[in-house]
Amino acid sequence: MAELLLDTNIRFWVVLPIVCITFFVGIIRHYVSILLQSDKKIDLQQVSDGQALMRSRLLRENGKYLPKDSFVMRKHFFNDEEKGFFKTQKRQGQVKNPMTDPSMMTDMLKGNVTNILPMIMIGGWINWTFSGFITTKVPFPLTIRFKPMLQRGIELASLDASWVSSASWYFLNVFGLRSMYTLILGENNAADQARIMQEQMSGSAMAMPPDPSKAFKAEWEALQITEHNWSLQSIEEELLSNTVAPEDIYVKDKFV
Amino acid sequence: MATSRGVKKEPHAYSEISLRGNRSVMEYCRTSMSALSGATAGILGLTGLYGFIFYLITSLCLSIMLVVKAGSGWKKYFISRTPLLTNGFMGGLFTYILFWTFLYGMVHVY
Repeated sequence: MAELLLDTNIRFWVVLPIVCITFFVGIIRHYVSILLQSDKKIDLQQVSDGQALMRSRLLRENGKYLPKDSFVMRKHFFNDEEKGFFKTQKRQGQVKNPMTDPSMMTDMLKGNVTNILPMIMIGGWINWTFSGFITTKVPFPLTIRFKPMLQRGIELASLDASWVSSASWYFLNVFGLRSMYTLILGENNAADQARIMQEQMSGSAMAMPPDPSKAFKAEWEALQITEHNWSLQSIEEELLSNTVAPEDIYVKDKFV
Repeated sequence: MATSRGVKKEPHAYSEISLRGNRSVMEYCRTSMSALSGATAGILGLTGLYGFIFYLITSLCLSIMLVVKAGSGWKKYFISRTPLLTNGFMGGLFTYILFWTFLYGMVHVY
């Protein structure tokens, strides 16, 4: 079939082991990262602050369905000059420096231990153990430009571009098995190396906790300028006039 | 988390979580289909353009099956119908190529 005759032992001792190693390392990485994962500690204070902010936002958005008394009472609870929630609750800004906070440091270290280290180690090990094998052939013709990508470790000028070296076969597996991990381990698995690399590029992995006092101030301002604008003003007439379908009333001012 | 899209007469409320669930089920179908069809192509020993045509055919089959499965009530599950046809086409291609290469190498190269 092929114009180049390969030893059959390469199939059983190089191609298959690389696929198995890549696959099972991904699975082990998933479970190790679950083991090492320290669940994020959220203290009660943060939760209650978040809930208060959410309540205030809901009041701003849906306050028009409340009677005026109720709206003003709620607004008073949050925004009163002396006793309002947003005025009395003082939170010192607890923006943590990741370098000084030991728990964050260990988190970062764990991330590196489970992600970067195996990639370098396994990649280097495969490069070293299986170096110099032509493992397989892609079943479609490729241009000469793919040679450095697919034939890493073999510098043969006359070799056809569709032959794949062992190191490149490893990288093909790393990228090709991504969707298989989603199939086997579920949606947000930790086995996916490429996704982790992307995250580190964009730096989104380190999200700072928001400063509650600033959020309180912003929410206070937003609630302060909110006026009560009752949208159920003529609800009795509209309901009794009997010509309006209920859903029309319900969505009346929704998109204004 | 319901996103309501406002058409004047009939507002629809979609649950974001359910939409995401539907999408991931579709993704599962795609991945399984491309892995299976890649294995088939590799065992059959398709090369070159024939393999890609085979992938096109199988993914088209899957799309048709999904559309038939969703039936006339697709509006309940998806906002629009095009993701049923196109979703995960390129991602599936990578899986397909990997399996195709792998089994082709195992069966036909040596």
